[in-house]
Amino acid sequence: MKKQPPKKKTILVIEDERPLLEIVNTKLDKNGFDVITARSVDQVFNANLEKKGLGIITASSIKQALDYLENLENIDAIWLDHNLLGKENGLDLVRKIKANGGRWKKIPIFVVSNSGGSETIQSYVNLGISKYYVKSNYRLDEIIKDIQTSLGQLKLKN
Amino acid sequence: METKTIISASDDIILNLKVLAREKESVRRKLAVTAAKLAVTAKKLATTAKEKESVRRKLAVTAKEKESVRRKLVVTAAKLAATAEKLAATAKEKESVRRKLVVTAAKLAATAEKLAATAREKEIVRRKLAVTAAKLAVTAEKLAATAEKLAITAAKLAVTAEEKESVRRKLAVTAEEKEEVRQKLVVTAAKLAATAEEKEVVRRKLVLTAAKLAVTAEEKESVRRKLAVTAEEKEEVRRKLVITAEKLKMSYETLENKVLERTKSLEMARAKEESILLSIGDGLLATDEKGNIIFINKTAEKLLGKKGNEVVGKKFFDVIPLEDEKGAFISLEKHPVNIVLATGAKTAALSAAYYKAKDRVRFPMAIMATPVVLNKKTIGAIKVFRDITSEREIDKAKTEFVSLASHQLRTPLSTVNWYAEMLLAGDVGELNKKQKKYLDEVYRSNQRMVELVNALLDVSSLELGTFVIEPKSTDVCELARNVAQEQKPQIDARKIKFRLVCEKHILPMQADPKLLRMVIQNILSNSVKYTPEGGKIKLSIVLANTENILLKISDTGYGIPKKQHSQIFTKLFRADNVRDKDTDGTGLGLYIVKSIVEKSGGKIWFESPEENRGTTFYVTLPIKGMPKKRLNSSSNI
Repeated sequence: MKKQPPKKKTILVIEDERPLLEIVNTKLDKNGFDVITARSVDQVFNANLEKKGLGIITASSIKQALDYLENLENIDAIWLDHNLLGKENGLDLVRKIKANGGRWKKIPIFVVSNSGGSETIQSYVNLGISKYYVKSNYRLDEIIKDIQTSLGQLKLKN
Repeated sequence: METKTIISASDDIILNLKVLAREKESVRRKLAVTAAKLAVTAKKLATTAKEKESVRRKLAVTAKEKESVRRKLVVTAAKLAATAEKLAATAKEKESVRRKLVVTAAKLAATAEKLAATAREKEIVRRKLAVTAAKLAVTAEKLAATAEKLAITAAKLAVTAEEKESVRRKLAVTAEEKEEVRQKLVVTAAKLAATAEEKEVVRRKLVLTAAKLAVTAEEKESVRRKLAVTAEEKEEVRRKLVITAEKLKMSYETLENKVLERTKSLEMARAKEESILLSIGDGLLATDEKGNIIFINKTAEKLLGKKGNEVVGKKFFDVIPLEDEKGAFISLEKHPVNIVLATGAKTAALSAAYYKAKDRVRFPMAIMATPVVLNKKTIGAIKVFRDITSEREIDKAKTEFVSLASHQLRTPLSTVNWYAEMLLAGDVGELNKKQKKYLDEVYRSNQRMVELVNALLDVSSLELGTFVIEPKSTDVCELARNVAQEQKPQIDARKIKFRLVCEKHILPMQADPKLLRMVIQNILSNSVKYTPEGGKIKLSIVLANTENILLKISDTGYGIPKKQHSQIFTKLFRADNVRDKDTDGTGLGLYIVKSIVEKSGGKIWFESPEENRGTTFYVTLPIKGMPKKRLNSSSNI
């Protein structure tokens, strides 16, 4: 296979616990990802996103946020916790993202969470996420390796 | 002369030639005819050949048709076989239904007998009452007869009194006569001197009179005796009357008591019935065979927000509209009362129907209906229902608790996990050997916590009933191979020889792969943990019989002390002989495994005859698969 310098993948991490958000950010960065973090659904869609080097982007509506995101960001994957700050949880985020259709519908979503019984997990699966991990049962490097493999496969498929 | 011969000869020759020519001509004509005939024959042959060809083609077609018909017949035969199977299956179902009906029939017969017995008893009591009434009538008649006798006796007494009076008068007359005679005697005394015959006559007269007096005295005596007898009889009759009067009184009292008792017991039975109906905490509604409501109890009135007299006589379906969770109207066919009335089912239940009474919030109810059968006919239905709002809320609270507990417990564990992981990986700087060692301990301890929390959450989910069983087609052997592969690092680290044996004929079965994995993993990891280096472990999966598969996991490890065998499956229990070895465990694994196996319809047991001689665990699971279990299923409605 012809070797081209692989474009850095951008991953959106949404996790409410600050220490966990930081460490996931650090590890993903070490593994060659560009990381955008958020702690609530609101933050994602109101685009209080800290993009590396571009400062804070603000927007007043979902559509605007998505437009920005569409034009400025090329999110390749989403790392999503179920419990988030604010009133909405991970399921709400997935619904909103899938509802926006287009490119958004196709972004692979990896749910990494400690809560959720089988009903919750089934709801995520029904909405079309890529994989569900019970956080405390996995090493961080295991999950990241898994995500990289999935993305590698997706790239080949596309 | 020669010329004449020659001429005649030549004439002859000419004649012969003519003859020959004629013969030739005729032969030529014959040939022509023959040629014509040959031509015709050739044509016929050609036609025949064509016909033969067309027949041959037809035969070919017929052969094809035959082939296709033959194939269709094969298909039809297959369909018939399938239909025969379905019929067999249907026949089996019919048989089991028939058996159930037989059972029901037997119960009904028993009930009918009881009713008959009760009817007989009632008949007996009725007859006794009739007999007593007859006796009363007879006694009344006797009373009347006795009264008559009294009247007769009174009349007799009157007559006797008259006779006594007439006798008294006769006595008075006789006294007068006596006076007369005496006077005559005085006269005659004077006349005595006269004649002895007169004296004799007078003496004879005196004798007669004396005789008359004697007779009259006898009569008086007999009349007196008669009077005495009549008085005795009167006394006798009076005594009999007193006795009869007493007997009558007793009869009356007995009868009254019996009637009172009967009334009391009937009253009590009715009061019992009423109090039972009133005190049932559930709503109760009874309908006739057409679905018209004939009775609702107080709880039903409260739940439905309607009074008994508002609904009696109306069709239950019109009066009590039900909807499902989403608010969609539930059709008549799904109502349990309709099911038992229309299909003769012995019971019908509906576990998720919502009802909105006016002035009340919509609430969920659990409904169960049964038919009322008399003499093999369904004459009505009884529906029992209750408000399950609090049950639902409890279920919801349980699930939320488990979910919350799991999140709260696991979050700090994840944080320690990943931070330790990153430190150990050198992502935040190099560590020296000792630092690495210490951090390793932290990491490993944390892993133990994670395992413990996972086990506790499984236990709580099993006990609270919030776990689910989702059977899918599972290849048990493949799953076992998978689990064994996961344990390979530990198996290899302890230099244990591991063997997996799978019987060939085991087909995929309906099992929840998550749960089955837990069972195999737990038992296998125990074997690995509790077998010293260089030991052996064998996992085999076979068909135990036509109904179960058997998993057998045997090791050459520490075994289980005999006196602790009974505690092995209890929560948080670890046997003494492994506690002092360098191993750790939560003590929950086997409790979880046993719960899962038993809730899946299987069995688990083990053998460990001696310490340090290994242990063998056996698990059987039904081939027909694990029963599906949803969340919030109150399966015991």
